[in-house]
Amino acid sequence: MIQLSNVTAKYPGGEGIELVSLTVEPGEFVYLVGPSGAGKSSVLKVIYRDIIPQSGHVVVGGFNSLTFKKKQIPYLRRKLGIIFQDFKLLMDRNVFENVAFTLRVTHTRGVEIKRKVLRVLADVGLSHKRLKMPYQLSGGEQQRVAIARALVNEPIVLLADEPTGNLDPEAAEEIMQLIEKINSKGTAILMATHDFRLVRAQRRKVIKIEKGMTRS
Amino acid sequence: MSSGFLYSIGEGLRGLRRAKFSTFVSIFTIFISLAVIGLFVVFIFNVNWIMTQIKSRMELEIFIDNSFTKEQIDTLRSQIEEVAGIESVRYVSKEEAAEVFRNEVGRDIFEILDDNPLPPSFQVKLRPEVQTSSRAENISDQLANFDGVDEVLYRRDILVILERYFRLFLIISLGIGLVLAIGSIFLIYNTIKLIILSRRSVIEIMKLVGATRRFIRRPFIVEGVIQGIVGGTLAALFFSLLFQILKTEIPELIVVTQAVYPILIILGALLGLIGSMFALRKFLKY
Ligand SMILES: Nc1ncnc2c1ncn2[C@@H]1O[C@H](COP(=O)(O)OP(=O)(O)OP(=O)(O)O)[C@@H](O)[C@H]1O
Ligand SMILES: [Mg+2]
Repeated sequence: MIQLSNVTAKYPGGEGIELVSLTVEPGEFVYLVGPSGAGKSSVLKVIYRDIIPQSGHVVVGGFNSLTFKKKQIPYLRRKLGIIFQDFKLLMDRNVFENVAFTLRVTHTRGVEIKRKVLRVLADVGLSHKRLKMPYQLSGGEQQRVAIARALVNEPIVLLADEPTGNLDPEAAEEIMQLIEKINSKGTAILMATHDFRLVRAQRRKVIKIEKGMTRS
Repeated sequence: MSSGFLYSIGEGLRGLRRAKFSTFVSIFTIFISLAVIGLFVVFIFNVNWIMTQIKSRMELEIFIDNSFTKEQIDTLRSQIEEVAGIESVRYVSKEEAAEVFRNEVGRDIFEILDDNPLPPSFQVKLRPEVQTSSRAENISDQLANFDGVDEVLYRRDILVILERYFRLFLIISLGIGLVLAIGSIFLIYNTIKLIILSRRSVIEIMKLVGATRRFIRRPFIVEGVIQGIVGGTLAALFFSLLFQILKTEIPELIVVTQAVYPILIILGALLGLIGSMFALRKFLKY
């Protein structure tokens, strides 16, 4: 479903990733672990095509880097849910509108929007806060909103870049449980973190990355 | 499609509200620019109309050899009538010329001289399309070469001067109009730039959740066009008011057709469109 083979993507400064290979199968939970600056975010960026690889081969949900066109970026991203440590919420609209944003951007009808948003807000446990503004929420709650926004389009995979990085241990634990719950319902997860303590449960795939290179 | 379009308009208005001051400035600039451009157009229309009036009264006078017989004069007339650009030819006999002389000078020519020295002539009217000075001169040269034509006269000096000033005025007003249009475009560009910069995070999130390029850009285009339309509408209102006042003061004024109003608004929208396109190209590369 996601497959990177020998992918090299460098920034103008020479930093970046080199010969990275990994796969994510449907429903799988994959950790991408490595120290700060190792290239975790860069791997995710290659997947959602924020950076273009110089060499190697990337396949994401039917999109192939060999034939990929710039025009396809929006349609690629509609298949992905993406969350970050800084949440990236729209501060001038409430929870409902933040989640609905994904659907408005993709021309969903109003009734449909309402139904889908309310369902996903229930999934992340925020139904009662749907009219609150982001600044009225705790960090953990804000990340839940971001997760709801990422999931509302029913993505093939949730890309999580250090999702608990800005949270206190308790909130972080809750978010991890939520992500696990999402995974147990069938959504694949690719989670980047520098925190090995977050890696748990033996069944899961762990990809280590260091100085831009993956090691298995 | 329609829900997406409504969304764009909503987002557009939201952006304009956020950049209130610069929105106001660019709308005002468009208004002033279009008003000035419009004033030029009205003035040019009127001057042009006056010039056509003058030109249509312009005639060539062709003096005929005094010794020409009636038949020769008739032949000459048919020759003249065949020249392209001639509208009508009227024969003025020696007697008629003397009559005109008496009317204009106030004395009978026969009081001064025994014989009537005034030659017969043709008064030639030109078609409107050849009434520019250069083409009239061409025709005059052509006519002067005919057998039996002594001299061709026409009041070309006034026409030349008039045309020169008119052209100068046209060029100057075109230049000023262009400068104003560019100024308007620049201010819209600036407003849209501010809105784009103030909405960086929204744009980033839009890209993230899979908005198409068109969808991201459309609100900004809408914003530019709205500013242009508002500015253009203000200019149109200004003109309808101005015309109402001027009409009573100067009844001879020809008001440019009703088409000015939609044209002003469309022109405003166009300026807005161009301004926002430039801003998008510079600040929203996606
Ligand atoms: N936009 C950029 N331009 C130039 N260099 C960059 C850019 N983004 C990242 N880098 C460099 O590329 C390398 C990998 O960065 P990346 O953000 O992928 O690391 P990371 O593993 O996500 O680190 P962290 O845990 O701190 O988020 C780093 O050395 C970083 O300085
Ligand atoms: Mg990172």
